Amino acid sequence: MIGPTGSGKTTVLNLIAGLLEPDNGSILMDGLDITSLPVEARKIGYTFQNPSLFPHLNVYENIIFGLTKKNRKNDNNDLQITRLLNDLGISHLTSRNIQELSGGEMQKISLARMLVTKPKIMLMDEPLAHLDSPNKRRLRLDLRRVLKRQSISTIYVTHFEDDVYALADSVSILQNGVIEKTGRLESILAANPNPSSFLSNIFSGGNYLEGKVVNSKNGVSTFKVGSHLLETLGDYSVDSKLGILVRPEDIILSKEMVKTSARNVVKAKVTNITKQSNSAVADIHLVVDRFRIRSRITEESRTDLGIKEDDYIFAIFKASSPQVVREEDS
Amino acid sequence: MERIKYQGFNVIILILSGIAITYIAYPLATILTFVEPSKLLDSLTRPQIWDAFVLSLISATISTLLLSLFGIPLAYFLARHTTNFPGKFFLRVIIIIPLVLPPLASGVLLLGVFSPNSPLGQAFPGVEFTQSILGVIIAQTYVASPFMILASQAAFESVDESYEKIARVLGKTRLETFFMILLPLAKTGIILGIIMSWVRAVGELGATIMMAYNPHTISIQIFEDNSIGGLRQAVPGIILVILLSILAIIMFYIITRKKARHGVLKIGGA
Repeated sequence: MIGPTGSGKTTVLNLIAGLLEPDNGSILMDGLDITSLPVEARKIGYTFQNPSLFPHLNVYENIIFGLTKKNRKNDNNDLQITRLLNDLGISHLTSRNIQELSGGEMQKISLARMLVTKPKIMLMDEPLAHLDSPNKRRLRLDLRRVLKRQSISTIYVTHFEDDVYALADSVSILQNGVIEKTGRLESILAANPNPSSFLSNIFSGGNYLEGKVVNSKNGVSTFKVGSHLLETLGDYSVDSKLGILVRPEDIILSKEMVKTSARNVVKAKVTNITKQSNSAVADIHLVVDRFRIRSRITEESRTDLGIKEDDYIFAIFKASSPQVVREEDS
Repeated sequence: MERIKYQGFNVIILILSGIAITYIAYPLATILTFVEPSKLLDSLTRPQIWDAFVLSLISATISTLLLSLFGIPLAYFLARHTTNFPGKFFLRVIIIIPLVLPPLASGVLLLGVFSPNSPLGQAFPGVEFTQSILGVIIAQTYVASPFMILASQAAFESVDESYEKIARVLGKTRLETFFMILLPLAKTGIILGIIMSWVRAVGELGATIMMAYNPHTISIQIFEDNSIGGLRQAVPGIILVILLSILAIIMFYIITRKKARHGVLKIGGA
């Protein structure tokens, strides 16, 4: 669920959790009306922005807090818990004190604390907000992997667009307390090629491409998107699936095929040109085979090159431009 | 020039603080001038003194237990359930009445409720609400109540509500959350409230004079001894309460030191 600050994202989560009572309407989970169920009966997990680990308990006690006495004695549970901790990479932390942990470790422990109770649904309120960039990217990849492996439906709330590309199977766009759109990621992207709609403030739809790695050499990996081979920096295992983001500003357009230092050149057709009045830049919407990309260039250049709808043009970007937001074994 | 201004400020602070500290500590030294060591042991074991002292300890303990039983839940209610409560300010004002009312006035009001001629006194003619240990307990409980309630309320309010929310999401009922999360995290403030209530109950005089001049609490004993024989006669009682105070100060110190080291943390940041 993506939306700007103040759009009501946290409110939605609090309503689902039962921490807030709705003024009217009802909440259905798996077809069951949970509106009048108290918080403790709803079988949900919820991690806040602040991990809020219980200060008077150690790491292990925090993790098993939600288990009933009966569950704790269960050997099968023990095994599952050990597996989960290994998966998250925190099994070495169980005897530590809360004070000795880093922000990323605390978020993982607060997630483990929720997952051991096997909730029906997991709610996450911007869990990466307080972390610094390198830790954030690493943890984000871990999150998707662990949640997928646990097979737990998760509502992940954020106001960062790249979180959506990195994590989402489906997206809900929230603005001013209203859900403007919900759908699978691909259909949202396909349906919203026009960034000057009101949604562009929060979800302008950067260029997201998915492909499979076919080669990796000298710190550059080649991956296949449709029938095209594209290159990005980094060593990724062959056959793994990558999801990359390329900013529209990083896509250069050329009327002719030229040999530049940029590794990625694709021939595209212009479908649409949009421009805000009084803006120096224009968005050129392109289609390459079945996927759409957008390039942002100055209006000056657009007129110099004489680019118009239905033109064929070359879209160029460097191997250093893509940001890898998803990395999965196929 | 600036330097002198800053130093001047420090000097003024030091002087004023010094006067305040001396004012508080010096009277303790005067007791030494009145103690005759040879007679001290005799006077300390005077039966009246000892009876009064034991009465104070027992009644203060019972009062504190009552305050814990009723005051802590009230503090919880005020801390957690009055955010949108319409009568919120009204409630909070009522609680400090026993604090701002002169103890003698509290005692007179309590007589109105509990004296033999009052509705309550007439409803239960067999029960001696006044001039009895029960009367002592009633008086002490009344005047010490703000200490328990306010300290506990502050302690509960200092605990981040996130912890309780998470406990409930993890499946704990409100009751379980109170005992497993809120109470342990508020423990230090509540214990301080208990100590302060207990000390206040022992030191209570004004309301006790009205409600139960007899049997003598240690405070009333000191009061009477002083009326009859002056400071010399009151010395034994005073020494006993000073020893009690030192004990309370030591406990205070131990507990607040522990809190500083293992205090409740608000965790945030990378």
